Amino acid sequence: MTIWPEAQAEHLDTEGFSTVDMTINVGPQHPATHGVFRMVLTVDGELVTSCVPYIGYLHRGLEKLSEANDYRQAMGFWDRTDYLAGLLCEQAYCMAVEKLANIEVPERAEYIRVMLAELSRISSHFMFLGAFGADVGSFGTSFVYAFRERERIYDLFEEVSGDRMFPTYLRPGGVAMDLPENFEKRCREVVGNIYQGLEDLDGLLTGNEIFVERCRRLAPMTTERAINWGVTGPVLRSTGLAWDVRKAEPYSIYPQVKFDIPTGVEGDIFDRFFVRLSEAYQSAKIIEQCLDQIPDGPVLNPGLPKNLRIDNAEAYARIEGSKGEYGVYAMARGGNKAYRMKLRSPSFCNLSALSEMIVGHYVADAVLILGSLDIVLGEVDK
Amino acid sequence: MTQEQAAPAYPGTAALVHAALPGVPFAATETKTDVDLRVAPANLLALVEGLKAHQDLAFDYLRNIVGLDMLEDGLWVKYQFYSFKHGHALQVTVATPPGNPHVPTLTGLYAGANWHEREAAEMFGLVFDGHPNPRNLLLEDDLRIHPLLKAHPLQPIEIVQGIEEGKAGFEF
Repeated sequence: MTIWPEAQAEHLDTEGFSTVDMTINVGPQHPATHGVFRMVLTVDGELVTSCVPYIGYLHRGLEKLSEANDYRQAMGFWDRTDYLAGLLCEQAYCMAVEKLANIEVPERAEYIRVMLAELSRISSHFMFLGAFGADVGSFGTSFVYAFRERERIYDLFEEVSGDRMFPTYLRPGGVAMDLPENFEKRCREVVGNIYQGLEDLDGLLTGNEIFVERCRRLAPMTTERAINWGVTGPVLRSTGLAWDVRKAEPYSIYPQVKFDIPTGVEGDIFDRFFVRLSEAYQSAKIIEQCLDQIPDGPVLNPGLPKNLRIDNAEAYARIEGSKGEYGVYAMARGGNKAYRMKLRSPSFCNLSALSEMIVGHYVADAVLILGSLDIVLGEVDK
Repeated sequence: MTQEQAAPAYPGTAALVHAALPGVPFAATETKTDVDLRVAPANLLALVEGLKAHQDLAFDYLRNIVGLDMLEDGLWVKYQFYSFKHGHALQVTVATPPGNPHVPTLTGLYAGANWHEREAAEMFGLVFDGHPNPRNLLLEDDLRIHPLLKAHPLQPIEIVQGIEEGKAGFEF
């Protein structure tokens, strides 16, 4: 004789202890979503059983506007996509136009672009380190540390281009003007501060046992799944695949500088964090090498017409953005405007894998998993 | 190669594809950055399945999907692929006939195709047959306009700014 006959146990299981699924709406106005992003979570107790993301709250019609404005005017919209690293977006846009029209870029301009692009990448990673620390619960300390460093980088951008976040400093064919005279001295100061700031954050976060325990082995992703979802950037590298557009399909002057590709092992949240932290060190090294190697010469191709007209051509320019592969598909069919411009946004592709990552985890971790993707809604929504 | 010789029918990666998948007809050209294969919508799935599965091709990464409004030539879709194993890239173009913008979905092969296809569908009115969730992505759920079509107007900024007469915004 059994104490709990099977039929009775089944009855208990289905009716005695059943829980009711609850739907939780997060966003679009919510500090943890890092912008205007909304997700609807269905939870069973504390476990997430489904996650439906909604995007488009920041859709500004980038692609339509790029078709309606000529090649110079349209660039202003592009650094407003990934607004944490505007110069990287400008670089991708300019590369696309240069490929369409076969425009040569002077070497000095390439060096300037790479230095500023790497500074943008560091600034974007600082934003992540600060905000992610706040997500995990280090309250404001990491945030303030990170913002102090970003502020110095933005000051440097302002000295170079006149603007902090949206410099619109690059041009198809080069950059708008040469660097200020004291740039090298100022840049070395800033890079020194970056090393110090990264060490501070490293000690504050990686040296914090609570932080590490919270992040280790949370939401790991395999390389196969990451590739299937089209996930790129630090999230892909955290799974152990050392793939970086700067090395895999080299552009600009990246073949002339030495740097490593930091990778993770398990693809969990801690690895994503640590890959970004290590990457910022590598970017600082690239900037130092550029400062040593930068040649003199013109910074803008002198043979360019004022109003660029491009015949039938198409190109897909890609760079390693701060969040992953930032691609610009461009098609020209005569005239001074692009026929079609399409942004392949890394945040967009990384975010599409979110629901698979979140399901099966606790609600409290959902915010962390979202934060670990380091999305920028300007880039997701175009 | 001398000037007299014509451009090869299958440049670069296209020769690999032709050798690996002789049964799939396509026309190959070169863009400024990649090799472009043009296939009929009916052959797309066979081609992409081969691109992904074949040892020598191994295009395991779908980078991007681009919708295009080519006016009287109908709506086009462009796919950009990359292979992590071999490090080569490829672009595939599918031209749908005017009035019949149907393309098979690639979500069964690449999970990442999901959002790209939803975006192309809402922006151009393309239909990805078999898509598991064909709702609007960036636009409002119930908005049935296709803003990236060339026929869709863009209002002059002067009206929005109030410099010129006119009502700002459109009515749908």
